[in-house]
Amino acid sequence: MEIIASSYFGIFGFEISIFIMLAIAFGLFMAWGVGANDVANAMGTSVGSGAINIKQAIIIAVIFEFAGAILAGGEVTATIRKGILDATLFVDDPHLLIYGMLASLLAAGFWLMIASSLGWPVSTTHSIVGAIVGFGAVGVGVDAVAWGKVGTIALSWVISPILAGTIAFMLFRSLQNLIIDTENPFDNAKKYVPFYMFLVGFVISLVTIFKGLKHVGLDFDTSTSYLLALGFGAIVAIVGTWWIRGIRLDPAENKDFHFTSMERVFSVLMVITAAAMAFAHGSNDVANAIGPLAAVYGVIESGGMIGAKSILPVWVLLVGGFGIVLGLVTYGHKVIATIGTGITQLTPSRGFAATLAAAATVVIASGTGLPVSTTQVLVGAVLGVGLARGLAALDTRVINKIFLSWIVTLPAGAFMSILFFFALKGMFGA
Amino acid sequence: MVRNDISGLFGKSPINPLQQHMKQAHLCLKEFTVFAKAASEGDWEKAEASRALIIKKENKADELKKKLRMNLPSTFMMPFSRRDLLDLLLIQDSIANITKDLAGLMTTRKMIFPTEIASDFLELANVCVNTSDTALEAINELDELLETAFSSRERKKVDVIVSKINALEHESDKTQHQIRTKLFALETTLPPVDVMFYYRAIEWMGETADAAQKVGSRLEVMLAK
Repeated sequence: MEIIASSYFGIFGFEISIFIMLAIAFGLFMAWGVGANDVANAMGTSVGSGAINIKQAIIIAVIFEFAGAILAGGEVTATIRKGILDATLFVDDPHLLIYGMLASLLAAGFWLMIASSLGWPVSTTHSIVGAIVGFGAVGVGVDAVAWGKVGTIALSWVISPILAGTIAFMLFRSLQNLIIDTENPFDNAKKYVPFYMFLVGFVISLVTIFKGLKHVGLDFDTSTSYLLALGFGAIVAIVGTWWIRGIRLDPAENKDFHFTSMERVFSVLMVITAAAMAFAHGSNDVANAIGPLAAVYGVIESGGMIGAKSILPVWVLLVGGFGIVLGLVTYGHKVIATIGTGITQLTPSRGFAATLAAAATVVIASGTGLPVSTTQVLVGAVLGVGLARGLAALDTRVINKIFLSWIVTLPAGAFMSILFFFALKGMFGA
Repeated sequence: MVRNDISGLFGKSPINPLQQHMKQAHLCLKEFTVFAKAASEGDWEKAEASRALIIKKENKADELKKKLRMNLPSTFMMPFSRRDLLDLLLIQDSIANITKDLAGLMTTRKMIFPTEIASDFLELANVCVNTSDTALEAINELDELLETAFSSRERKKVDVIVSKINALEHESDKTQHQIRTKLFALETTLPPVDVMFYYRAIEWMGETADAAQKVGSRLEVMLAK
């Protein structure tokens, strides 16, 4: 307790704990990494399908990543903050939790830097979860880790790409039957695309309303939730229909390739889906950066009382959002550009099926409080479209990379966080 | 800094390179009609120039073939089997190969067909070019096939084109038979070695149409996965 009390120092007339300062700095760094790398993966499918350009992608990402983080990011943040570790074991030594969370942020951040520079597959989610489990198990004790929860999380890493792939397969098959493989694909696209727009709005808002909004102080009963989601879906569909009404069939552009006009209808749908993906990503990945920060803040704010009921202050979410935007602006736009040019075979119809499947899966995971890897979910979704014979060539070596990232990143994050944990302990006192 | 992006998932599509290759093979065969015309008139200077173009196009097709193979690792997940695709590529390539050999044979032997069958041979060449042109048309449907995820509607379109190819190949067989019948009647009046190579040239010419037909049937196998 005295360690916490003595950690305060004055700056610009404020009394602030050195631990909070460090947690903000490390958290910002992590969020920067998420913005620089992971957002690009989430938005890359939209840019690659030619539906939106880089500038639009960044604007959509900034708005919806933020919205996702604040409206639906609560559950995953709670998991990172207090779900993986058994907080009761820290009651006597609250400062150990602070060291551990700081060490985890540092470890995940460093590991991301090292692995990226070596070209190894990394996942922010896996790094941070590995780091927290690592310091908990070794630094404090095997019992400190809520293994049941960790098992659920690990399982979700396997299930989420498969689920996304299955949804993408079915979505794409429905597009094929209702629109693409018909006498007049363009007319059918205009007829059915509004329903898919409704679906995007409905699914994303339903999960958010059910699970996310209670963190911002809103709680609705089941029927109200459904009504709200229906309403939101309808609004999305109406706006979208208004948007596509101006798209006309242009026989000239369909001369060489008969589906050009149809794909133009899909590109509007793709923009809406891109927004959903950014929202989903924000709801899941922001927690990686701010979950530990929230944990440190929780301990400090209650003066070392573990388990004291403290709600997630909005400024913590803002730190996450700010870091992501920073990462996007400084580096992410380049990565989005690289990705966008690398995946030209993804047309808007494919991009839509894959991205909506991924967004829905990630939002469901967010609602359940499970930190998943957005990139891996997206890979699963794209492979689902590939299994439906919708894509010309997918390199399955990526699947090996995913396995490798599970095997390598978890121990690496754990090992580094253990090192940092003992270093912090030595610096600030046990 | 970052190399963990999703673009690694997307390989280079083999469809456009395959179409380019077929186009090149077809152009090679098409150039042969210019060669054959010049040869039949005994204009070997013009024929030699045309043969140079044939060789150039054959080389180009070879390059495209190698490039496509290099960009097709076994880890690719494609909407058709990799084996079928590579087979198809080989068959397409044989059109250009046979054409080059035929032009070579005719040039070295300064082959001029007897007047009785000269125009028939040119007609045979035309039928073969039409067959490969139709095969190219079928290969060019691959974009649409992929877009519709190889739906039955698009595949029926290809079926129609493939039956056109088959009809043309049948026509080439008939023309060949016609030429052989005429040649047989002339055999005794001609130098035997020349006759031997006339038969060979007719056979090779017909093989280009056979190859074009195989392109169509292999394509159908590929789609049926």
